[in-house]
Amino acid sequence: MTYILTVNGTDYPVDADVTRNLLSVIREVVGLTGTKEGCDDCECGACMVLLDGRPVNSCSYLAVQAQGCAITTIEGLQSDGDLHPLQRHMLESGAVQCGFCTPGMIVSARALLDANPDPDDEDIRIGLSGNLCRCTGYARIIEAVRKTAAGDSG
Amino acid sequence: MVISESRPFLRADGPDKVTGSGRYVADISLTGMAAAKFKYAGMAHGRITKLDLEAARSIPGVYAVLTHKDVPDVRFGAIPDRKLFASDVVRFEGEVVAAVAAIDAATAARAVEAIVVEYEPLPIVDDLEAALDENSPLVHESWADYDADHVVRDRNVASFSSIERGDVEAGMAEADLVVTSRFEADASHAVPIEPRGILAQWEGDRVTIWSSTQVPFQARAGVCETLGLATNKVRIIVPHLGGGFGGKCGFHFEAHVAALARAVRRPVKLVFTREEEFVAPDRRREGMTIDVTSGIRRDGTLVARRGRMLLDNGAYTADADFFPQLAAMHLAGPYKIPNVLIESSLVYTNRQPSGSVRAPTAPQACWALEAHTDELADAVGMDPVAFRRLNAIDSGSVGVVGQTYGEIGLQQCINAAVEEIEYGSDLPPDEAVGVAIGWWPSFPGPSGVYIKIDDDGAGQIITGAQECGTGAVMTIPHIVADELGMQPGDFELIYQDTGAAPYDVGATGSQTLLNNGRAALAGARELARQLKELAAEHLEASTEDIVLQSGEASVVGSPASSVSIVELAAIAADNNLLLAHGSSEVIETPPLVGSTCVGDQGVAAWSAPQFSCHAVRVRLDRDTGVVRVLEVSTAHDSGTIINPLGATGQVEGGVLMGIGQALTEGTRYDEDGRQLNAGLLEYKLQTIADAPTIATRFIEIDTPDAGPHGAKGLAEAPNVATAGAIANAIAKLVGHPIRRLPMTAERVWETL
Ligand code: FES
Ligand code: FES
Repeated sequence: MTYILTVNGTDYPVDADVTRNLLSVIREVVGLTGTKEGCDDCECGACMVLLDGRPVNSCSYLAVQAQGCAITTIEGLQSDGDLHPLQRHMLESGAVQCGFCTPGMIVSARALLDANPDPDDEDIRIGLSGNLCRCTGYARIIEAVRKTAAGDSG
Repeated sequence: MVISESRPFLRADGPDKVTGSGRYVADISLTGMAAAKFKYAGMAHGRITKLDLEAARSIPGVYAVLTHKDVPDVRFGAIPDRKLFASDVVRFEGEVVAAVAAIDAATAARAVEAIVVEYEPLPIVDDLEAALDENSPLVHESWADYDADHVVRDRNVASFSSIERGDVEAGMAEADLVVTSRFEADASHAVPIEPRGILAQWEGDRVTIWSSTQVPFQARAGVCETLGLATNKVRIIVPHLGGGFGGKCGFHFEAHVAALARAVRRPVKLVFTREEEFVAPDRRREGMTIDVTSGIRRDGTLVARRGRMLLDNGAYTADADFFPQLAAMHLAGPYKIPNVLIESSLVYTNRQPSGSVRAPTAPQACWALEAHTDELADAVGMDPVAFRRLNAIDSGSVGVVGQTYGEIGLQQCINAAVEEIEYGSDLPPDEAVGVAIGWWPSFPGPSGVYIKIDDDGAGQIITGAQECGTGAVMTIPHIVADELGMQPGDFELIYQDTGAAPYDVGATGSQTLLNNGRAALAGARELARQLKELAAEHLEASTEDIVLQSGEASVVGSPASSVSIVELAAIAADNNLLLAHGSSEVIETPPLVGSTCVGDQGVAAWSAPQFSCHAVRVRLDRDTGVVRVLEVSTAHDSGTIINPLGATGQVEGGVLMGIGQALTEGTRYDEDGRQLNAGLLEYKLQTIADAPTIATRFIEIDTPDAGPHGAKGLAEAPNVATAGAIANAIAKLVGHPIRRLPMTAERVWETL
């Protein structure tokens, strides 16, 4: 089946089986590999993307259903080559180790901050509870989101 | 030396990771690439009576189906008890029987389904005690034929070790009180968020393999051994690695994929599903049963300890041959005990093989020991912290195998952790604080780096070291730049590529900073010498008077007389290149003094041991048995801390993994020896919602005979004491220890 997907503001013609999930189409057809697969089972959040601003586990979403939506992946967060404040704070706070959870974590955090620009720690915990990280103790991730919300430039 | 707090530590691989531009194995595709899938045994123990590949091979798009007949007949492993493919008997559910390469993953999966295998079921060995019975079925009928003289073994016991010192009978007789405890720990898993991937491509008689391994040089050795290749024909490249925690140590499936790629004359890629990641690798954290008896005097002094440990090896001995002795050291613990006898056996079962998962044997053995230690304190009416202060080793103490410790910070760790958590202060009725101490060895090993500066002054560090997320490799440019008066950003890293770099043991045993850090320091000093000689010539000064700082070489005392390193690099480019190498000198392991160890595996006396104390505050819901960890305070002696941000990250991550092991992470098996919870829904990792506040303090001791600038390792040490501390907090609330790990809500509730 042929259709158009709009990813990070660009329209991509897609020729793929209707049963393909959004994750595999983004990675293998559109060719953006920043979105990761950790479980293919809605359990880890590594595959998180935004559909019209709403966070979705792309492993468990049919690609065809994303037609007409604005899809945002980790590659869509930078503007003019500058890191998004979330990306910078994740890095500077020590929230990145192996980095495999990081794209999904940042995408979820972006959705959280868009919906609630001034979250407290409990809001952050709820907002990111679908994203597993095995490397960190999560505290640095919370710190990075908090600093981004505070507009902390340091 | 500490990476300046005013100049924040930004990992060189960080921008790749936060932007999504960093490539992991699954992200790499090559033209013409085929997809691989394995046919697994799916049963715990059976003899193959029929293996029919015809239907699979006839599916359009299936390029090859390989079995044991297609690879050399080679046994491998720490005890060579293992082959790439099962040929006759399958010994655990995840054993590979056949491998398929096909046009895409779906076709490969269909081919796997179409492979017909029939088995004659064999009796399953899955009980550690029963496996020792002389009438027990054997997991390996021909165990005696395996070439493994370095271990003491017999039938289902793959490796036996003891540590013995003094006279344990006499010690028990001398004691005023004798306390006996028994504990049982379930197996668990490393669970890196990246499932493993392997991609192999041949050009002529050389193969390049991109693999998500923590140990590229070991993986190379495994490919060479099993496929009969020379080391210079095999190149292993690790792109970014999505975590390992030991789960990606050792040699796993690189040879299968290389053999497929050779057979189909195309690149072949294997990417595991989450379920495969649970079931197939030779790396499960071993289950364990632990019996421990200690004799103490009325004043709380430890006089004797006897222990018996059974470790579940699973079906094959990946790298667990030394685990019995390491486990015994963790049941002895960092205590002064004059009379000790601990006997420990690694037992074959029809389960997934066990292997080095982050601090192998330590969290389970420490959990049991520290729960037992609180029972000892209770028996003499002493406060558990006071009991530890009395019996734990300190600088100059003699430990359980007769090793005399130099300057160590264990007592300071205890003080710092209990102070931070305000030990002894009043708490609500359903809250309690538990404390545990732990230790971990350093593993000296060979390692090397090359360092060069090119004509424009840009540097490269080419290291064999492997970054698995800890940041250890990311610290190397800081160590080098510091020696050369340059900036870390002046250097690019070429790393985790066996075709480019000198040997390194890999991201295992917390050894990267210890060994590769020393190699980097040696290489940087050699390059500094070259720069100084060149500068001396240029400035007409003597080499000894040249100092390197702020990107300049200048004559000491006359800063006006200087030349920039960029300029020196341009001069060198026309003549003697700025090109250095360094390797880590061997650190001697201390000898055993006054102790005997049967089946000694060299892990009873330790170089540069690391120490820790963890204190936790928990809350118990008495209606459900649910325990929540509210606060953790940790203190670590890992020597000098070079990278505080990275070090804190290791401790926090280790603690969280420890909480998981303590409360939720345990593998369950059905009657047929198959895992019941091989998925993230049923095998629960800690989430951000569970994460407690974690405070971390470092007791920094510039340790001689350790890593660069007196640093020791730190990746595994934080994963030792957390479960023990949680056990002791729970015991205070329920009145007795929970004797089974993980201490799930159900298990806690059952004892209420
Ligand atoms: S890959 Fe989608 S949630 Fe794990
Ligand atoms: S940084 Fe490795 S899983 Fe989060």
